[in-house]
Amino acid sequence: MGRENPAEEALILLRSRLCNPNYIFTPFSDSPDSNYSKLKFIISSSVTEACNNSILLLGPRGCGKIAVLELVLRDLLVEHPDMISVIRLNGLLHSDDNCALKEIARQLCVEHQLLFSKMVSSDDNSQFMIAMLQECGLAHKTIIFVLDEFDLFTQGKQRLLYSLLDAMQSVTSQAVVIGVSCRLDADQILEKRVRSRFSHRKLLFLPPSKEDLQRLLEHILSLPTDSSLPHDYAVEFNAKLHNILGDERFKEILNTLSSSDSTVNHLLRFLFRAVCHMNLESGFLSLENFKSALSSVQRQPKLECLQADCSILELYILVCMKRLEVKEENSYNFNSVMKEYKAIHDSFRTPDYYARNVCLRAFEHLLQRELICFTDNRGHNQSVEYRPVKLLISSQELYQGLKSSRSCPVS
Amino acid sequence: MPSLVGHGTSAFPAGNDLKEIIAGKSDKHGEIRSNGESTPQKRRSTSGSPISPPSPMKWKSPRRCINASPTTPPNEIEKDSGDKLARSRKTPVKKLADSFLAKSNWNPRDTKQMSAVKEVLHVSTAPSTVVCREDEQNRVLEFCKACVEQEKAGSLYACGCPGTGKSLSIEKVKQLLLDWATEAGLQPLDVLSITCTSLTNTSEIFSKILGKHQPRKKVNGSISPLQHLQKLYSQKQQSSGMKMMLIIADELDYLITKDRAVLHDLFMLTTVPFSRCILIGIANAIDLADRFLPKLQSLNCKPTVVTFRAYSKEQILRILQQRLMALPYTVFQPQALELCARKVAAASGDMRKALCVCRSAIEMLEVELKESTSILNLSSVEKGVFDRRTAPTLEFVTKQEIDIVRVDHMVVALSRTYRSPIVDTIQSLPQHQQIILCSAVKLFRMRKKETTVGELNKSYVDICKASLIPPVGILELSSMCRVLSDQGLLKLGQSREEKLKRVTLKVDEADITFALQGVRFFRNCLQ
Repeated sequence: MGRENPAEEALILLRSRLCNPNYIFTPFSDSPDSNYSKLKFIISSSVTEACNNSILLLGPRGCGKIAVLELVLRDLLVEHPDMISVIRLNGLLHSDDNCALKEIARQLCVEHQLLFSKMVSSDDNSQFMIAMLQECGLAHKTIIFVLDEFDLFTQGKQRLLYSLLDAMQSVTSQAVVIGVSCRLDADQILEKRVRSRFSHRKLLFLPPSKEDLQRLLEHILSLPTDSSLPHDYAVEFNAKLHNILGDERFKEILNTLSSSDSTVNHLLRFLFRAVCHMNLESGFLSLENFKSALSSVQRQPKLECLQADCSILELYILVCMKRLEVKEENSYNFNSVMKEYKAIHDSFRTPDYYARNVCLRAFEHLLQRELICFTDNRGHNQSVEYRPVKLLISSQELYQGLKSSRSCPVS
Repeated sequence: MPSLVGHGTSAFPAGNDLKEIIAGKSDKHGEIRSNGESTPQKRRSTSGSPISPPSPMKWKSPRRCINASPTTPPNEIEKDSGDKLARSRKTPVKKLADSFLAKSNWNPRDTKQMSAVKEVLHVSTAPSTVVCREDEQNRVLEFCKACVEQEKAGSLYACGCPGTGKSLSIEKVKQLLLDWATEAGLQPLDVLSITCTSLTNTSEIFSKILGKHQPRKKVNGSISPLQHLQKLYSQKQQSSGMKMMLIIADELDYLITKDRAVLHDLFMLTTVPFSRCILIGIANAIDLADRFLPKLQSLNCKPTVVTFRAYSKEQILRILQQRLMALPYTVFQPQALELCARKVAAASGDMRKALCVCRSAIEMLEVELKESTSILNLSSVEKGVFDRRTAPTLEFVTKQEIDIVRVDHMVVALSRTYRSPIVDTIQSLPQHQQIILCSAVKLFRMRKKETTVGELNKSYVDICKASLIPPVGILELSSMCRVLSDQGLLKLGQSREEKLKRVTLKVDEADITFALQGVRFFRNCLQ
């Protein structure tokens, strides 16, 4: 009890929020210009006016296309309880036409509590689908087809797409086809027949702008003041959070984060790490949490390997290889490295000169850790010493590794 | 749009040939609306002079030649002119204005009217007459009639781009043919319409044809349906004879297999001596018959080819107007319709697209309505607080009635349909990915057509160094390249080594330059 509890509770609350896509995207749904409201408008007008429609959601991965779609569908199911049924297909699983028809038939059976038989032929499946579409059209029920990874459905002859979109051209059926894809030219790769039947509505999902980002952060990380958490704790938490969010260094962190990947998903992973680093004793988030999260997001495994694990001898060998490369030797093997090592030893008079066996051992270590590798995969017959090798790390990484290695002699 | 105040005003005599048109209209809902828009016609009124509507005779002929299709019932025109409207004098230029002049205002807030409009413009609503395709329909009809009369078999191939009305016209012809056969007292036809995409196996088409011929007879398993049909057709018919069968095969190119056997056999069925089928094939390729059925030429029974050309601007306009004529109110400004027809005709001539764009424009109108209602609601709440100064602005807002789809709505709808999302996406990419695209552009400018990830990395590092941005490592670079290739901006080849994967740009260089021109850094970079 005591002060531990509210901090833990807060941590649990924040973590559950970050894992729940519905919560994340609700602030986006307020503005009338957002994708949420546009999508909702299109689908709900198709449902209420009983006309067919098709739409494509485009945007980079992790931008929240499926999350927003699920949000819209959930709200629509609440508004029009019996008038919608949803069929979900995924391009990774169902790109084969027969497979897709079977899945559609199965989902329709589940929705309407009919018996589904696995032995039915694909012809019967497609007739069943068309018959169901007509029935639902008569009963004023709209079927919403959600096609995830839409671009994968366009391989082959696009039969499924054609039959779906063609069924929508008839007056008797009532359906909405929603395609979700990360390829921007998803409608260009459709066949011209299919493209002609598709209604060319596209919604673009873009990563959030800076203001939206601020709003989102506040929305996610602020604790509610009227919940089970003690009131002053929550207020103090929010005040400290506000300070952090306005800090210049935090903005820099955000910039670095979003300069390589600005999608919402990436941001959420970063926030999750930061929240997990929260100091449970003090119970508040601090700037250090975010900094450590950033460094764990942007890892450089080979550099870490260099800094942590390499012995002096191994570093020497790497430096020798680098020098050989600088001298423009196209291929060199262990023997030439040894020669170079000897040369360095002679010219710089360093105290560490190891025997050949020890060097060979260090060499093999480097091979195992993949800091160097063989240039070709052929000569398995030759011994390790004679096969040509090359460096797998760049000179910059080597330099940084050398600089930060603790016990490295100056050179 | 001209609007009414009260009863109407007089029409000027014929000698005056100014462009003045006076229209008196009764608004459907009895309200008085003033019009803030500029109208194509000027308005003049004299007070107190009685209305003298010109005689209906004068009005019939111009209307008929513009808007009437061959089957428009004559009473429709009379009904319009019999209205309490004083008609206008037309100038040759303003003929289009006629079609909307005579109609009353549309209230887009009325949901029933809105849904009626949307239904009329939906692709799935088949119009009662198929305009602009009379020529092709007649040809097909004549061909079929000739076949039926002579009790001979024949084949026809209808081709054209998607959205040119092929399936629709053939449906109409089928209907007309059946009617004609019953009228002329001939034996009724069997009709089989198949869409070849629904066939799992291409040779299933023969079993379907056989099934139609002999619905109750069980198929003998030893010979294939094709051979069965061939046998059937090579025997001279008995006195009762089989009925003629009309086979309509839609999306014929799905039957093309590697050895082209099925398509060939299908058309050969019509050449068998006592064959009784009329085959109509529909597809997109114009030269399907030449490319895939060369042997038929030698047998001198090539199918008749009817080409459905892409719609021109005038045709699209006519079709849209014909659809909208069914509504008793005007929905579109004529310039908006013209713009739509022109753009779609220039792009593809696809009718479905034109209908889609029109519906999109109506949705723009709806959105605008919603916004203005919310503004009005807001302002009516605050009305009490405001003083007189702001009152005229509010009045202006209420007066600017949004009851017709204007050119600006159409422009937005067209740009939405034809715009590619590439420029927007590039502008919203994270910084490093944009730098990657720039480095790719620079590399491709210099010499080659494709490059590897390793070289891209070098170019990327150079750019970063030149602008003092810390570059990311090669691992992160290759994962960013993968993300870009997922989105369709780059194309990554396969290779065992990460650095040796080939990279090609899938986007036009001009698009990238255009998208990034707002940022000075990239502008300098791409010079």
